[in-house]
Order: sequence, then C-alpha cells, then structure tokens
Amino acid sequence: MKRITYLLILVFGLGIVSQSMAQDNLSPQRKQAIDSLALEKVKDLSKYISIIGDKETPWSEANRVIDRAEELFMQGSEMGVSSLVKPEIKYYPVRKYFERLMRLNYNKVEIEWYNIEYVSDLQRQPDGTYVGVITVFQKFKGYDKEGRLIYQDTTKKDITVYVKRKETQIGGRLIGFWDVLLGDIRVKETSL
Amino acid sequence: MKKTGNLINKMLVFSLVVIIAMGGATSCKSKKKIAREKAEAEYQAKVVQAKKDLTAILNDETNWTLPEKKERLATIKSYNIDNQEVKDLIVKVEEKLKDEERQLAEEREKRKEQELTDQQRRKYSIIIYTLTDIAKAKSYDEANQQIEGTLNLYATPDVPVLIIISKENGYYDYDRPTTISKFMNYLKDKKEFKYDIESVKYDDQGKITELELIKK
Repeated sequence: MKRITYLLILVFGLGIVSQSMAQDNLSPQRKQAIDSLALEKVKDLSKYISIIGDKETPWSEANRVIDRAEELFMQGSEMGVSSLVKPEIKYYPVRKYFERLMRLNYNKVEIEWYNIEYVSDLQRQPDGTYVGVITVFQKFKGYDKEGRLIYQDTTKKDITVYVKRKETQIGGRLIGFWDVLLGDIRVKETSL
Repeated sequence: MKKTGNLINKMLVFSLVVIIAMGGATSCKSKKKIAREKAEAEYQAKVVQAKKDLTAILNDETNWTLPEKKERLATIKSYNIDNQEVKDLIVKVEEKLKDEERQLAEEREKRKEQELTDQQRRKYSIIIYTLTDIAKAKSYDEANQQIEGTLNLYATPDVPVLIIISKENGYYDYDRPTTISKFMNYLKDKKEFKYDIESVKYDDQGKITELELIKK
C-alpha cells in the first residue's frame, strides 16, 4: 500500500513538474507568440487613445473605450504627460489621463503611435511573471475651430509590460492563458 | 487325335485369357498416365496463369478493383503452388496490396476530413462574415446595428470567446478570455478581423455558447 502511495506521489509530482517546466522553458515559437501578444496590447492602447482623443467619437463610445483601455493596465498605473511649453512631466492615474484626453481643449485632435517595439525583451522573473519594456513614439496634433494646427509634439514613451500565466475554468475546461498588463508609461523625451 | 485337339483348345483359351488380361492391364495403366498428364498440364497451366496474374497485379496492368485483386490472390494461394517464382510473386503482391489498402484508407480519411472541413467552413462562414462586417463597418451606428443583429446567433452577450495565440505539440496558449459582446466592440474599434475559427459550441436551440478563435 505504501509503495502504491509513493508511486502515486511520484507520478503526480512528475506531472506537476513537467507542467511547470512547460511554462518555464518556453519554446521560441511560444515565446514569440507571447511577445507578439504584449505588443498587440500596446497597439490596442494606441488605437484606444486615438479613439478617445478624437472629437468625432460619440461620448458613449469614448466612455466605453476608456473602460476597455483601463482594463489593459495594472491597478495604480500612471501615464506620463509632457508638453513643449512646460518643462515638468506630470503623471496621472490612467483613468484620469483618458478622461482628460477626452476633454482636451482642441477642436480636433490627432494622436498617432508609431515605431512600437521592444527596448527590453520579456524576461522571466523569479515569480514566473515576464517583464519587458516597449517603447513608442507619439505624434500629437491639436487643431482649432478653423482647422489650424495650434500645437504639436512628438513624445518618446516607455511602457513596462507584465505577462503572467493564469488559469480559468470555462465550460468545464481549464484554460491556461497569458494575461498581459501594462504598467506605468514614462515619458523619455519630448520634441517638436 | 481327340486329345491333341483338346490340348490345342485349352491352350487357345489360356492364350485368349492371357491376352485379355494383359490388354486390360495395359489400358488401365494408360488411363492413369493420361489422368496424371492431364493433372500435370492443368497444374502447369495454373502456374503459368498465376505468374501472369500476379505479375499483372504488380505492374498495375489489370482493371481489377482492390477486392478483386485480393480475391485473385487468395485463389492463387489456395492452389499451394510449389514454385519459388510464384511464392516470391505472392509475397510482393501481398506487400503491394497492403500499400494500396493503406493508401485507400488514407484517401478515405482525407476525403472525410475535407468534407468535414467544408461542412464546418459552411457552418462557420456565417460567424466569420458577421464578425468581419462589424470590423468593416463605416460608422459607429452601422457597427452597433451589426452587433445587435449578430448577437442573435449567440446564447447570451456573455458567451466566452477564447483566442488561441499559439498551438504547439497539442499545447494551447490563449489570450485573456473575453465575451462575445466585448469582442464585437473590440472588432469595431480595431476595424479588423484576423482570426480563424478553431471550434464552436452550440446549445439545443442552435445558439452559440462558446467560440474558440485562433490568430492568423
């Protein structure tokens, strides 16, 4: 009986170890899929920011998008805001940043993110979370009632991304998924 | 004189008996020989025909179907022909027929899979079309109308949507699960639908209860 117990412990133990090894030693293809997923989330944020900032976006849609955009972030994350006219960089909780963005005092706003890429690849931390940094360039343009460009700048921003393996039950099935959450967005440089 | 005549008679009768007896024996022997020769000829004909048929099967020179080929092989094997060439041909034909059987099974399986995929594609096409239409909508109003209509295909707006980001050696990696309602709004914002359908679950009313997508 004891032997059977030891054997069962060994079998289950091996199962758990092999499963955790499957997470630790990701194949290049799986790692690439996770890298792409994190990058995709930043691109989603870029799209959301452009929708929220767009004065043509109906109010209800902008508020819905703010909710979706907020879900991309870890709780307590902040967004850095800079300007060519002020030297200091202000940091706002992400929700507040989106709400301010929606109410910007321009008649028309264009926000475009480009050159979205990793500056620091996703690296596995001791707790199993993968952490990396993605850099983006943001081109901001604000127009007045007459359609004249009254302000523009280009900001380089660094976004910390956290990717963690989680599990959930769906339809009686255990689904292992990669939860991507964005952290603080820090302003690195601002230029014309 | 009478004695001599009797003796001659007896000798004639004896000779006749001997001749008859000898004649009968020779005739019997000849019949057996003929039968043996006939059997030998038949056997040789069988050998020749067996070689011809087996070679024809090997070289794909027959119009026989696989069951017909197998039947012919079984008949030839039942002859128990003691000829090395025939035996070698039987081994080769057995191998060839096994290969043909395997190929046929593979083709059948492929056809079945293809039919299934076609059926699925037809079944899934409505899902793909409706989701693509949402992504391609020209305005928020148009997209919202599409969403409202499309939700009828689903059991509830909270039907789970699973998105596979990687599938390797039977190991699936997913994005954070979402709901069909949120996913449709996501398509409206992103303005693109770049997924294939991996699986769909339906309830008794034919409404979708789970959608599993895979990133293209």
